[in-house]
Amino acid sequence: MTGYASIFVQAAFIENLALSFFLGMCMFLAVSRRMETAFGLGLAVLVVQTITVPVNNLINGYLLAEGALAWAGLPDVDLSFLALLSFIGVIAAMVQIVEMVIERYLPAMHQRLGIYLPLVTVNCAILGGSLFMVDRKYDLPESVTYGLGTGFGWLLAILLLAGIREKLKYSDIPKGLQGTGIAFVVVGLISLGFLGFKGITVG
Amino acid sequence: MRVVTRPAPHIRDAFNLAAALRWQLIALAPCVAMALYNTGLQANLTLERLKLEVAPGWRGDVIQALGVGLDPLSFVAAVIHGALYFLPILITVGVTGAFWSWAFATARHRPPGQGLAVLVLLFALVLPPALPLWQAALGISFGLVVGREIFGGIGKNVLNPVLVGVAFLYVTYPAQMTIESSWVMVDAFSEPTYLSLGALQRPEALAWVATPWELSFLGLVPGAFGTTSTVACILGAGVLLYTRTASARVITGVLLGMVLTSILSNNLPGDAYFSLSFHWHLTLGSFAFGAVFLATDQTTSAMTDTGRWIYGFLIGALVVLFRVANGHHPDGVMFAILMGNIAAPLIDSLVVRANIRRRARRHVD
Repeated sequence: MTGYASIFVQAAFIENLALSFFLGMCMFLAVSRRMETAFGLGLAVLVVQTITVPVNNLINGYLLAEGALAWAGLPDVDLSFLALLSFIGVIAAMVQIVEMVIERYLPAMHQRLGIYLPLVTVNCAILGGSLFMVDRKYDLPESVTYGLGTGFGWLLAILLLAGIREKLKYSDIPKGLQGTGIAFVVVGLISLGFLGFKGITVG
Repeated sequence: MRVVTRPAPHIRDAFNLAAALRWQLIALAPCVAMALYNTGLQANLTLERLKLEVAPGWRGDVIQALGVGLDPLSFVAAVIHGALYFLPILITVGVTGAFWSWAFATARHRPPGQGLAVLVLLFALVLPPALPLWQAALGISFGLVVGREIFGGIGKNVLNPVLVGVAFLYVTYPAQMTIESSWVMVDAFSEPTYLSLGALQRPEALAWVATPWELSFLGLVPGAFGTTSTVACILGAGVLLYTRTASARVITGVLLGMVLTSILSNNLPGDAYFSLSFHWHLTLGSFAFGAVFLATDQTTSAMTDTGRWIYGFLIGALVVLFRVANGHHPDGVMFAILMGNIAAPLIDSLVVRANIRRRARRHVD
């Protein structure tokens, strides 16, 4: 159990994709002006991340990795050069499927996430999560935890940024730094605060 | 009549920004006194332990010229030796801070910002005594410019500039901010001293030097300049709470969070730090100082009443978490309060939203 807790804490806080690896920055900065939109996008990332990382884990484990096709009688085939391409394809496909399912069964949620779901396809935090998963050789339950952790971490990070950016309207920022400029500085400072988590061990 | 509108805050009351800052300065007086006395006391104790007759460097020359000696039992000797450590840092931080304040006020055509004295004093008090002066200058530069001035000066910043500067120094020069070398007063002395072990403030070290808790409560232990004494912080808290400069909700929240989380950690298996009880967490490191002077900053703490409880609790819990589960930051207080500052706008926003929803439900029909 501590193994999963450790993966979750590491993914959400210590190695937060947005604040430690600076992945998904374009959307992180563009959609964090208001709390509602930030929450919508963050939730979409959380949902898609939790689905795509395990799915990519299965695809990598049974189709792409070296010797993964042994079940089909092809133990010498190594398709891992296709990983990047297949992961992006899987992400795009999963996003479409998730969108259709949500639209059919959870219309209220679709109203909320609708416009963000297609955006998530090109969010590098999603692809980054899958690539880290392969790099660290997670198994299926671990990759579910990892997907959940990174998604939660990204959601938390964008909410924190949106909270601060809403408060910034009371500030008196120099002209050249207004808007995205100060957002970059704030992201850096949030990231500085998150360094407090660095070195935490669970279990 | 010609009315000149000055920039916000437009408080028309005897209790305005200037008064709040004045009370903060008064509340900091006990901590400054301890910075002068305790730093000198610890230095003199170390020299006595090492059986040295002369303090190293230029400080030894000054002490000899003044003829006060290095007797640890002498109050005057301790205060003078302490001042020789504290004043250079305070002056460096003050001059650097004044320069940036002036530079931004001039370049942006704004009236010079208030609150520099409080900021400079707070920043100097949380630094370790043997920090190189140029690092102190760098720290206050980063804290003041990136933490406050580019947001428009006092009252318009999001994060406490003291914490931004200190966190910057922690991350950039961990050797000088945390480990032994910055606390040892004698060059090239490598054997662990009372000072170096106390600086790390791990319970093992405390067990080794067998520091009684009362000594730690009074603050007569090695540590940053002004943060060792819980008594001095309690005096300061009294002033701040009586004048309502600081929020009692924040301070109580921090204490509650710390006590509950440390009780939780005491019941978990782990190393010596897990079993550290809450009265030690209270006096160790800069916990009391942070809870009273840094977490309660009016600009960067949460603004709503419920939010202040949550904000305080979060800080207290994070301090224990960082101390117990994290080998990187022996103290953890600065990062915990910085995280609290980062989360404060989100906490406020959630509290306000919850309130709106609650009141809307009351008027459904």
